[in-house]
Amino acid sequence: MLQTTATLIARATLGPAQEIVLHAPELARALAPGQAVLVKCGWGLDPYLRRTFYPVAIDDETWTVRVPPGGDWGHAWLRAAPVGTQIDCLGPVGVGYLVPPGVRNVLCVGVGEEAWSLLPVVALAEARGLSVALAMEARTARELIPPARLPAAVEYHAITADGGSTAGQWADLLAGLLGWADAAVTAAPLAFYSQLAAAVRGVRYDISRGFAQALYPATFLCGTGACQSCVADVAGGRRRVCLRGPVFDLADVVT
Amino acid sequence: MIELAPHNKLGLALASPLIAGSGAVGYADAWPPGVTPDLFGAIITPPITWRPRRGLAAARLAEAPGGFVLTTGDHNPGYRRVLQDHDGAWRRLGVPVIVALAASTPEDWGRLAASLDEESGAAGLELQLPQIAHRNDAAAWIGAARRSSTLPLLVKLPTSRAVALASTCASAGADALVIGTAPMAAGLTPDGGLVEGPVAGPVAFPFTLYALRAVGALNLGVPLVAAGGITRPEDARACFAAGAVAVQVRSLAWLDPGAVRQLTREWDADERGTTRRVGLSALNSGR
Ligand code: FES
Repeated sequence: MLQTTATLIARATLGPAQEIVLHAPELARALAPGQAVLVKCGWGLDPYLRRTFYPVAIDDETWTVRVPPGGDWGHAWLRAAPVGTQIDCLGPVGVGYLVPPGVRNVLCVGVGEEAWSLLPVVALAEARGLSVALAMEARTARELIPPARLPAAVEYHAITADGGSTAGQWADLLAGLLGWADAAVTAAPLAFYSQLAAAVRGVRYDISRGFAQALYPATFLCGTGACQSCVADVAGGRRRVCLRGPVFDLADVVT
Repeated sequence: MIELAPHNKLGLALASPLIAGSGAVGYADAWPPGVTPDLFGAIITPPITWRPRRGLAAARLAEAPGGFVLTTGDHNPGYRRVLQDHDGAWRRLGVPVIVALAASTPEDWGRLAASLDEESGAAGLELQLPQIAHRNDAAAWIGAARRSSTLPLLVKLPTSRAVALASTCASAGADALVIGTAPMAAGLTPDGGLVEGPVAGPVAFPFTLYALRAVGALNLGVPLVAAGGITRPEDARACFAAGAVAVQVRSLAWLDPGAVRQLTREWDADERGTTRRVGLSALNSGR
């Protein structure tokens, strides 16, 4: 893990969130998809805790985070910070996504704001010449990842809830895609992972270890395993997500 | 060198007045970037118990203005597993490791103190009294540890009861007093949940300083260690001026690790010797 000062070099509003591009080459080079960065959002003591972000883009010298709307005063500070602001960052935190060797077809499954953190693994898999499909659910079309953000070869399936249930749409979609995929990566609210696991069992008979990786959407205080604030009941015990995760085997998150 | 246990025949000499407070660097296995053992005079483990404790399920953390509320339920793998996993590294660390004992029963503290004395490389114990400790309870707990071990005993007092308990703890065998565990608070999580535990971070510092000054005025003749919300060089200086011989940091290491090194640099640059003399002279004048 590094502690570094990043420079805010660009911002844009995209859907309900703001995207902020941060320049800190050393940290950008250390980051892997699915790992977190802890950002100091303010000059003084308030807010005292860092905010946890899962970057939505990782480049050679920069990475990009999405700052959600809402009343959190750390996020509000970041939304208001002008270009050129120096921001203290700690990262990378934890274990990210792995694209296993020998895989040819990668399925990415995301729900809501969490889905955006799949973008770096989509880019990584595509850059390795793999076939990639992304299935995403959002409440409204405005909250979906725009197709222009994806490499041209990525097969994109979008589901919008628009106030209704999406269970049927997911069942149909996953029945086809899970048969095609050699590996799956997912980022979603925890409740979705049981639904995904049921779909995997339906198509592949069990959720064999190594097939699907799931991001446990935790927030972190220290990121080093010291404070014990980030525990979750996963992988057969009460674990520190910043050490064992935040990316786990799906089997560890749902059993 | 700073002697934290001048009346104990084993002694507990620190090369620096900066201590990694309980759990700041885990069991000396969780080092934030740029934070290295040589920055510290000693390292204190998270509080352990005889048997493993699963601790509380999430959520354990809530933000508060200028700090946070954190409660783990003394989550730890139990004394045997802690020693199995970490004792070898403690012996090689080059910095004294002090094992913290979670509030428990006198019997638990007695057998833990005996076992750690015999089996571990621990240089001392930090006995963490509960928030509601009564004088008789404190005497029984400390007495049980004292009878079972010759290791230096640091006793960590709740700041809200520090003045009431300090004299009893010193008489019961404490080699040094740690001031202290910050008051209880309740914090709201982002999803509306509640976390109850000691407040931490800079917001805790005024409680630490108040209790430290009050206990210092009792002139008990035992070294005092300040803990709770110390994040700036001026916080540390105020603690030394109030009679502390050493200070603990914890949230600083978690949230701004670079500032830990900065803290030691500032002492070295502009107050080499002075801060330590202030603390030690205050101690000596109290004997
Ligand atoms: S964030 Fe501190 S232990 Fe995970």
